[in-house]
Amino acid sequence: LAELEQLVENHAKATDRDAPHQGLPGGRLALPILLAVGFLTLIALSLASIWLHERAQQDAERTIAAHALEAKLVSLLLNLRRAESSQRGYLLSGDPRFLLTHRLAIDDVQPALAGIEAALANNPVQREAFASMKPQVIEKLDELGETTRRYDAGDTAGAIALFKSGTGRQSMENISAIVERMQEEGERQLALESAQYQQTTRIVLVAELSGAALIVVVALMSLVLSRRLMRAMRTAQQELRDNNAALESTVAERTRYLLEANNEIQSFASIVSHDLRSPLVNIMGFTSELETFRKDIFERLAALRAQASGQDVVNDDAELGGEFDEAIEFIKGSIGKMDRLINAILVISREGRRNLRAEPVDMTALVRAVADEHMHRALEIGAEIIVEPLPAMTIDRLAIEQVFSNLLDNAVKFMRADVPGRIHVKGREMLFGVVYEVRDNGRGIDPRDAERVFELFRRSGMRDQPGEGIGLAHVRALVRRLGGSIRLASEPGQGCTFTVTLPKRWIDPSADWKQQ
Amino acid sequence: MNAVNAVTIILVEDDDGHARLVEKNLRRAGVSNPIIRCADGESAVQCLFGGGCAGHLLVLLDLNLPDMSGIDILQRLKTDSKLGRTPVVVLTTTEDTIEIQRCYDLGCNIYITKPVDYVSFANAVQQLGLFLAVVQIPETA
Repeated sequence: LAELEQLVENHAKATDRDAPHQGLPGGRLALPILLAVGFLTLIALSLASIWLHERAQQDAERTIAAHALEAKLVSLLLNLRRAESSQRGYLLSGDPRFLLTHRLAIDDVQPALAGIEAALANNPVQREAFASMKPQVIEKLDELGETTRRYDAGDTAGAIALFKSGTGRQSMENISAIVERMQEEGERQLALESAQYQQTTRIVLVAELSGAALIVVVALMSLVLSRRLMRAMRTAQQELRDNNAALESTVAERTRYLLEANNEIQSFASIVSHDLRSPLVNIMGFTSELETFRKDIFERLAALRAQASGQDVVNDDAELGGEFDEAIEFIKGSIGKMDRLINAILVISREGRRNLRAEPVDMTALVRAVADEHMHRALEIGAEIIVEPLPAMTIDRLAIEQVFSNLLDNAVKFMRADVPGRIHVKGREMLFGVVYEVRDNGRGIDPRDAERVFELFRRSGMRDQPGEGIGLAHVRALVRRLGGSIRLASEPGQGCTFTVTLPKRWIDPSADWKQQ
Repeated sequence: MNAVNAVTIILVEDDDGHARLVEKNLRRAGVSNPIIRCADGESAVQCLFGGGCAGHLLVLLDLNLPDMSGIDILQRLKTDSKLGRTPVVVLTTTEDTIEIQRCYDLGCNIYITKPVDYVSFANAVQQLGLFLAVVQIPETA
């Protein structure tokens, strides 16, 4: 079993060792970095787009404003001209319809001026030009107003004189020049902004193109990287599968080997004990024959002594007989012991060869029945055996009965004389199986002997109880065969606890390979 | 009595000590029949099937022989047309239940385990001797 554990451990180590060189160097970091780069590029691209859009909107607004300004300038000039020409018509014909047109045109001038001024709030160059134009407009309006006023008052000559003076024409020319300049300036500003806008657009385009290219590169790299990772992963998985398969076949092989070895040991034990028994029968037989001869010998000796009948002959037959008997007793005692040991080996080897059969066992009933068998002996020494309800399991009935019988027998045997004995059997179900505990308050076992007591023919503590040191060895052999383990926790004088851990459902481990 | 005295006991036993002890105890029980000892399987086969022995036979058979298994001899004896009715007493150290079953299946008449305890051993063999004094045995054809 230990060998198998070693095998599994080595396998795990091998898997660990293989894992790193499967992946790429830094492969674990490359993909997240690429992803981050891709995301950052995308964010930058989006920001650039938003900025460009805003910028375009601003530019468009500015263009619209520039065009609106031009329209207003043209409208101002037009109104002034209309006012001028209708005034001339009025002066020539005296037709009041010209005067109406003239008044309407004049009325439109002031709002046009205000509109232009408002539009120029953020344009210092144009504002300056406008500032120089405004007095001219006012002067022109004054001239027009004065001319009309003189004409209406009947001073036609004065009106014509003012008209002829040329101040109005001069103002008009100045205004036209300034408007022209402002238009030029507006166009210049528009052209400048347009050029800037194109420049920005180009920059943003380049940036966006390189961003897109970067994203494509990142995507390609990620693709290559993930493909490589996938490949590495597949290789690793394949290797893992291979290793597992190899491990399984190794385990199967070892199991077969162990079972074969086990069978061999058992048949060896059986053969050896039979062959040992044969000479033992002779030794015992002829020793007993010797005992029979002893009677004859001593009778003959007594007869010879009687024949000799010398008073000086010392009669030491009794002493001689005693020594003879002592020797014979030792030989017979040893033979008896050897016979018991051989029998024990036979019992264990036979138990090992018996085919186990799994069946559902009501453990509470079984252990209580076993406890009843030991109750007589327990009552004699004033001990009690308490069996709590135990979890049921599927196992070989005879084997588990033997386990508890030996454990209880052991507990009853090694009680303390000074305290009332108490043997407590309890159990619980665990995730991995079933755990049973046999706890006593007897003499306990020295922790140094905790392992030794499970060995064949080994005992611990005082030798005041009969036994060959077989019971616990048998228990451990059985528990192991049932796929479980047994542990001993103890302190001298405090009693001891045997903990038996078994699988909930026993499965014959040899069944697999027997079928193959 | 004549019929019983005519019976020859074939003792198949490789261990000299065992053979001696068996013989001793049979004699103590008053068995005076001739006893032929075969120390191995080959000589037993020679004696039984090679015509070495004839008349009323009774076989005391040990199972653990150096050259062959006593079970083979038992099987051959019980399936033999001439010797098939010959009583066979298996006298061995093996007390394996499967082995015992097999011997009875093959037609063994009595199976006795040699106890290490000599008193029991002697009793067993002597009682077998007493038993032989009254048992009726058919003649080999």
